[in-house]
Amino acid sequence: MSGEKKKWVGTSYKRKEDMRLLTGRGTFMDDIMLPNMKHAAILRSPYAHARLLDVDISEALKAPGVIGVVTGEDVKQESKPFPCGVTIPTKYYSCAVDKVRFVGEPVAVVVADNRYLAEDALDLIEVDYEPLEAVVNIEKAIEPGAPVLHENIGSNIYNHRFFKYGTDWDTVCQEADEVVKWKFNFPKYAGSPIETYGVIATYSPYDKAYVVYNNYQGPFVNHALTAMALGIAENKMRWIIPTDVGGGFGCKTGIYPYCALMSIVAKKTGVTVKWIEDRREHLMASATCTDRVTYMEAAVRKDGKILAFKDKAMDTTGGYIRAPEPGCAYRSTGNHTGAYDIRNVDREVYIVATNKGLTAPLRGYGCQELYFSTERITDMAAAKLGMDPAEIRFKNFIQPEQMPYTTATGGYYDVGNYPAAFQKCLDLVEYDKMREYQKKARAEGRLVGIGLASVTDPSVTNIAYVAIGKTVEERKNERDKSGSGEAAIVKVDPLGGITVICSTNPQGQGHETVISQIIADEFGVHPDDVVVDSVVDSSDRLYSITTGSFSSRFASSGTTSIVKAARQCIEKANKIAAHLLKVEVEDIVFEEGKFFAKGKPEKAINLRHIAGAAHWNQSNLPEGMEDAGLFGTSMYTFPTSQPPDDQDRVNSSNTYGFVAEAIVVEIDQETGQVSFLKWASVHDAGTILNPQIVRGQVLGSIVGAIGGSMYEEQAYDENGQCLTASFADYLCPTAMEMPKVDVDHFESPSVLTALGSKGAGEGSSMSVPPAIGNALADALAPLGAVIDELPMTPSKIWHLIDKAKAKTN
Amino acid sequence: MKIEGTYTFKVPQQKVWDTFNSVEHLQAALPGCQKLEETEPGKFDVFLKIGISAVKGKYKGKFEIADSQPPNSYKLMGGGKGLPGYVKGEAAISLAQEGEDTILTYDGDVQVGGLLAGIGQRMIGGISKMMLEQFFKNMDKELS
Repeated sequence: MSGEKKKWVGTSYKRKEDMRLLTGRGTFMDDIMLPNMKHAAILRSPYAHARLLDVDISEALKAPGVIGVVTGEDVKQESKPFPCGVTIPTKYYSCAVDKVRFVGEPVAVVVADNRYLAEDALDLIEVDYEPLEAVVNIEKAIEPGAPVLHENIGSNIYNHRFFKYGTDWDTVCQEADEVVKWKFNFPKYAGSPIETYGVIATYSPYDKAYVVYNNYQGPFVNHALTAMALGIAENKMRWIIPTDVGGGFGCKTGIYPYCALMSIVAKKTGVTVKWIEDRREHLMASATCTDRVTYMEAAVRKDGKILAFKDKAMDTTGGYIRAPEPGCAYRSTGNHTGAYDIRNVDREVYIVATNKGLTAPLRGYGCQELYFSTERITDMAAAKLGMDPAEIRFKNFIQPEQMPYTTATGGYYDVGNYPAAFQKCLDLVEYDKMREYQKKARAEGRLVGIGLASVTDPSVTNIAYVAIGKTVEERKNERDKSGSGEAAIVKVDPLGGITVICSTNPQGQGHETVISQIIADEFGVHPDDVVVDSVVDSSDRLYSITTGSFSSRFASSGTTSIVKAARQCIEKANKIAAHLLKVEVEDIVFEEGKFFAKGKPEKAINLRHIAGAAHWNQSNLPEGMEDAGLFGTSMYTFPTSQPPDDQDRVNSSNTYGFVAEAIVVEIDQETGQVSFLKWASVHDAGTILNPQIVRGQVLGSIVGAIGGSMYEEQAYDENGQCLTASFADYLCPTAMEMPKVDVDHFESPSVLTALGSKGAGEGSSMSVPPAIGNALADALAPLGAVIDELPMTPSKIWHLIDKAKAKTN
Repeated sequence: MKIEGTYTFKVPQQKVWDTFNSVEHLQAALPGCQKLEETEPGKFDVFLKIGISAVKGKYKGKFEIADSQPPNSYKLMGGGKGLPGYVKGEAAISLAQEGEDTILTYDGDVQVGGLLAGIGQRMIGGISKMMLEQFFKNMDKELS
């Protein structure tokens, strides 16, 4: 096998996708046109909380070009609420049925000859709302007397659980010298892909089956849940995802309600229906991360050793809870203690209903919320003990000789050298020199701060994490859930060409390029000769409920399946080569795309020859070989993907990278403006498959996190009105806000993946919010101001400075 | 959101009062008013078509006049909705004679919802001011 010789993997091979994308020849959702296709527009609630008394569509039906109108009544008839992994009876439909619970919730859908006519007809629908008091604040929502969103639940608590790992908190506290505590607020922000949601749905009354084109990103468990909501068998709903998807960042996992809604609309109206979400709809009603309130505590010894973390975390998933929530609180279970050797954890988790937009696993899923509180409290502990924030981290890191390491909460870290990777980051930012610089700057009265963060970066979730939302007792009544399977098919055609079909559909990550590099190495061919089919079609691609491009799966599990499928092919090719060359298979050497008997490279046959034999002369296959052709398939699931145990421990992900962030900031006291003076970001994503692509991922996750840390927030007024439905109010960082970042890598190849690679798509989205928080806190420390929330906009910083100065004067 | 201000009409107070209480004049002066109907004394149905950026759309609403103290003051309460969202609010209107002129003072509190809040909230203050100015100018014409 040629697998050990890497010629292409590890190089910055130019992206195969770019020519078509840069010349405007990509195929996105809105490029797809089908016969008999009509256009849908959605009427959305202007109220955050109201009873739906009446929806009168009679005038709309008479409007020019209108084909049909679908309301919540139809949706209630045609579907059931989406299943969700919590014990309370959820009632989330794809369209409001009795009440609206957030601004932007769909109330009706008009189908017309074109989008203009459909939107005009929306104006004619008369909705009679009975406005109700709204609640947007997490803690107010769980106070007695708060307006209740779901009467059938009786409170605004979707989920509430307690966890204890290791020694109990009170006992640990007796051993501790200090207990540091603080309350943190994490904001609700979005992924903002360039391409919004899009769906085209068709219903065949003859087969009673749906075909739904959409730009979903996985996990395919939502395909199954949508079929369940529609009350149909899963194979009666074919999803097709086009070659190109313009960004996902987790938010496109939240498209499935619209797949259900447009399916119902197609069935009701008898036409093929296209709906492309506009930007206002997207900003108001697609999906964001959860906002979270955390009461965080750390029990520490004088020498800096953290003995335990305790937190009470309260997330809100908005007006409804939908899959894969309650994952926001549980996806990070296995890596709750991050890169630190902390054996005791105490948790209380609330997931709360508020009259706000809904959530999805946004890039970093749950980890930015977690690490903002754990990494900030770590810095607070260091400050209390008079330690340097770098020193307290070194004191607590899991040591390389402890690997493989099982965390207190059940995470299985296979490899890693956190102290060395962290040191690399400190060296890159010239930490000691920057501390000197800071000292001088402070003496001049300038606000300069240095922020660090060191976290583990989980990738490839094990679906078992969702089960943590239920208690051990509740889980006993259900079947176990576990797994991380990802699919690949590698086939060699009769002329020797190689095609790869994966189900990790890309949204811009360059999978075609990386797959071509891997296959080129495995088969000894040129990457340009490899064809990668990026379309995902649920009817002919292998998939499982864990399939998709989410949780940084491609680099870990996607590539492992590809390599396994390729090697199956090569194993078969070796047998055919041995048969043709009349030697034992053990004597076959495969090098540079040529098969030959050991010591006889002059008598080599190439892959095309072998593929030809396998396809064109099927009677002449080696003895015992029953299948003609040349192909391999794999749906590899990590053996580490086990169900939760009876102590709520779960290996919630499968590979764990490491990220160290070091950021030097200066705050302008007059304006509150923050400048980044220096920034080092060191990642351990295992083997780097394509350095240029990984660099793009790192910078992308950094810019996304700068957004959530400094600019972006889906903001609401006290009536639950969304205040940020355009890019004029919802501020995304642009090239102008992107600082220069020194990126470096510390490669500890994973022993669990075929190529040693680990997920690389999310890293800094988890580490940047705490690192920026720590940097700003450090800068403001001389004034005694505390950073405990994000985004820290210039105006918030200015007010902090103002308040702090007023106190000292 | 608070909306407050004054406007000076170059006519006596009683005339301003009468014109402001005439459906016909109001309908003519209200920017984008398609229809204004008094359904019962002091209660009105109104249809507006507004063509300004973020608030563009057709609106259907109801308002009523309360605490009428001719010719000095009254309270205006109401709301409306259209595709871009809803508006509701109340305002205190008072008139005072100053020499030959009449000073109208308004002091209102307005709530908006839906896209109006999501897109237009920052602009709505300016837009309402602009529409009010236009309304008062139109009223000037009605008064002359």
